[in-house]
Amino acid sequence: MKKHLIIACLALLSFTAIPFITQAQTIKVSGEVTTPLTIDAAYLQKLAPTTVTRKDRDGKDHTYTGVILAEILKNAGVTLGPELKGENLTKYLQVEASDGYQVIFALAELDKSFTDRTIILADKVDGQPLAPGDGPYRIIVQDEKKPARCIKQVTAMQVHFVK
Amino acid sequence: MNTGKKQNLFAKVWLKKSHTLLVLFIFMILLSGLSFTSNPVETGPYNLVYPANFGNRISIPADNPTTKQGVYLGRMLFYETRLSANNTLSCNSCHQQNKAFTDGLALSKGVDGVLTPRNSMSLANLLWARKFFWDGRANGLEEQAVTPLTNPHEMGQSLAISAQKLSKTATYPTLFKLVYGDEHITGDRIVKAISQFERTLISANSRYDQYQRGAYKPTDDELKGMELFNNGPQPEKGIRGANCGHCHGGPKTYMELFHNNGLDSLPKDSGIASFTHLQTDQGRFKVPTLRNIALTAPYMHDGRFKTLAEVVDHYSDHILESASLSTFLRGESNEVGGKSLKLLPIEKKQIIAFLNMLTDSTFINNPEFADPNSLTAKTKH
Repeated sequence: MKKHLIIACLALLSFTAIPFITQAQTIKVSGEVTTPLTIDAAYLQKLAPTTVTRKDRDGKDHTYTGVILAEILKNAGVTLGPELKGENLTKYLQVEASDGYQVIFALAELDKSFTDRTIILADKVDGQPLAPGDGPYRIIVQDEKKPARCIKQVTAMQVHFVK
Repeated sequence: MNTGKKQNLFAKVWLKKSHTLLVLFIFMILLSGLSFTSNPVETGPYNLVYPANFGNRISIPADNPTTKQGVYLGRMLFYETRLSANNTLSCNSCHQQNKAFTDGLALSKGVDGVLTPRNSMSLANLLWARKFFWDGRANGLEEQAVTPLTNPHEMGQSLAISAQKLSKTATYPTLFKLVYGDEHITGDRIVKAISQFERTLISANSRYDQYQRGAYKPTDDELKGMELFNNGPQPEKGIRGANCGHCHGGPKTYMELFHNNGLDSLPKDSGIASFTHLQTDQGRFKVPTLRNIALTAPYMHDGRFKTLAEVVDHYSDHILESASLSTFLRGESNEVGGKSLKLLPIEKKQIIAFLNMLTDSTFINNPEFADPNSLTAKTKH
């Protein structure tokens, strides 16, 4: 009983201590794009959902739902599809997380004409929104053995030329 | 006869030649001595030397290349108390070389006697840092340096007044001319020179560095500590670990990450959330470099832990749950189904032995980083 009371008090306190937490995480898409984007939940809903199943660190299969990364990049005017040739093959996508972690994908890794492997920007796992520590958005790379590039808490995506 | 004359002539010419050579030689020596006394500052590009395994992802802005004269000026400014409102504080006040450029205090006093909200950060290998402060809000050294100089609770003086004060000195206008081409002193030039000096603060000769280049054999405790530092705990497989390297790994023991490390369930200082207003950024701070960590007590953004033992105890047994707690710190345990790391007392000691390997005595004793004024004082004795 006492324990419950303490928990209730803590919960109340946590609401009063952080009233300014109002923002929702978005993702900025910038760099070698023709149309810079700011992605939020409403934006993702407009695109066709895709699912990818892969193991997480718990060793169990999970079904992730999201949007194919290349579709978002196409909307930003990134040189994919027929344009992905010549010097455009020296471009890469840099994905950054809120903790500062960064990973990159060569554009060719994301393009359907190069690979059947699906890479999505997920916002759901097993039908539920991603946990706060993982989401709201996480990259899921189909079949990649290590989960290191399944970057969590994505905040920014930039396309760059290799220097 | 003929040949004798020739020889004589040859000897005379040689003598004359050697004479001129000698005169020329003496003249050159005198000249170099003269130029040394009138202009002791070396000029030209500064060669930043560091081990290959540190990588080349370094940050030097195009409009502030590192030069020998710029570094010289920056070092003078780093130790310059005229840059504070009451002429008592310099960068050095909170960043002392013998403490790996920290001040040994939880929070530091500014010119107005008010304490800073956060712990003074150690300075080392800033060349590889892109985001500065405990909350990473400054993009680059130049942007960072402005805050401690001008904040009323730190050095408390506008850059314009600092520039004015330096203009009235005998030495600085000449130095600024050497660095920037004219004697005009501005806040921007002050900040740029300080940043140049800070980029030279490279620490690369700790016992850990020596071990990595095969020049040091660690003790058994150091080796065991290193293993625990780098391994994630996998109790099912019998692998024990503390997983420190997940966020503090690599040859530099710095990865530029930002995490809530479970210090509080309700953080007093909201960290990055104070400007992003995101729940997941609550109590989230920079994961600092561990280089020279044994010299930079007290620890954490608020200096709450006095010793490394307290820090290791925290990660082993006292992580506090909250919505923003880093997922890497949640549910990691050396016991099957355990809630905390549960390191053994001996393992904690071994980790601390490894952390002591990160102390770089070459760095803290490097005369090139020391107060230029006290050095001349020393040589006078």
